[in-house]
Amino acid sequence: MNILFRTAALLLWLTAGVAADAETGKIQTLTPLDKPFIAPDFALMGEDSKTYRLSDYRGKMVVLNFWATWCPPCRDEMPSMERAHQKIKGEDIVILAVNVGEDGDTVFAFTGQYPVSFPLPLDFDGSVIAKYPVIGLPTTFIINPQGNVTHRAIGSREWDDDRLLNTLRKMLKP
Amino acid sequence: MRIVIDGTRLSVMCITLSIAASANAAFNIGIDEEARLPYWEIAEPGVSIRLVQRLPDQTRGFFQARGFSVEDSEVIAQSCVFQTVFKNISSPSAPSTIEYNLREWVVHAAGARHGLKTREDWEKEWTTRQAPPSARLAFEWSLLPTRQRYRSGDYNWGMSVFSLKPGDEFDLDIVWHQDGKKRSVLLKGVRCAPDIHLKPGDL
Repeated sequence: MNILFRTAALLLWLTAGVAADAETGKIQTLTPLDKPFIAPDFALMGEDSKTYRLSDYRGKMVVLNFWATWCPPCRDEMPSMERAHQKIKGEDIVILAVNVGEDGDTVFAFTGQYPVSFPLPLDFDGSVIAKYPVIGLPTTFIINPQGNVTHRAIGSREWDDDRLLNTLRKMLKP
Repeated sequence: MRIVIDGTRLSVMCITLSIAASANAAFNIGIDEEARLPYWEIAEPGVSIRLVQRLPDQTRGFFQARGFSVEDSEVIAQSCVFQTVFKNISSPSAPSTIEYNLREWVVHAAGARHGLKTREDWEKEWTTRQAPPSARLAFEWSLLPTRQRYRSGDYNWGMSVFSLKPGDEFDLDIVWHQDGKKRSVLLKGVRCAPDIHLKPGDL
């Protein structure tokens, strides 16, 4: 009985440990896609009124994030994306965070609370997200320098985690 | 494998109750720290599912701000909406693949049973009601996906709609597939948020 109790307690403890990791975003996974695909190109106006065309980033690793201001996990990962953006400056890795369904004013107001310096293209009518296999927000795709989508993350991540950034760097220079 | 959990009474609102339903399953009820509203949660190896109450007033405000008419927002607000957080918490060193389909979930209330109202069900309704495209887009992405496949570390937040009245109580059959094996839990005594109107500082 004592052994049973200890085993049950150990199982609960292990379960709680994993759950705590998930809640703090420490499960830093990028799932390789079973079937990589060519990233559908797009040209979208950014919150800064510049036009962002995905194909302009050919030759670089692109972290393509789909998000919305009202989505709690999307908000959670924005600061870590900004820190990652600062860490990878000068490297061939870029972050594009495509806002879904909101206008420039809404996103501009959001950046007052969550200042970021990477591009925030606006997919106001949802026509770009419809070309990607996104089921829930946030979803992030990793696009290799050849323009193929190779990995995916559903839900937020701590993007400035060196383990995750090193994974991207390794993908850049296989 | 099927587990039945009873969390009918959430009388001591500020105390988180954690019950081991079996050696490898746990059920928690308590107050969500961020929303400051009651939640019901199951935590099994590799999976965490939390349902957090949403007040009708929060829901009507959210959707009115996204372009729905007062009437359409009221339809959603009066339908018993929860914020649902579904996570694959399996360790990367022992990863599981988790899949679910909301059409397998069953709501038991007042002696009857029905399914959840999904994105696809709502889309038909919005077409009939001629809701604006921008509002429909926001609505689609706000809801928990009807079907999803999570690898280790993946998760979604989304609203789930139970088609009940504010304050109603119900039981919920939650079903998912973990590494191809069907799993289910009966979550008992879940309660829709009452339709109360908050003043600033109430939460």
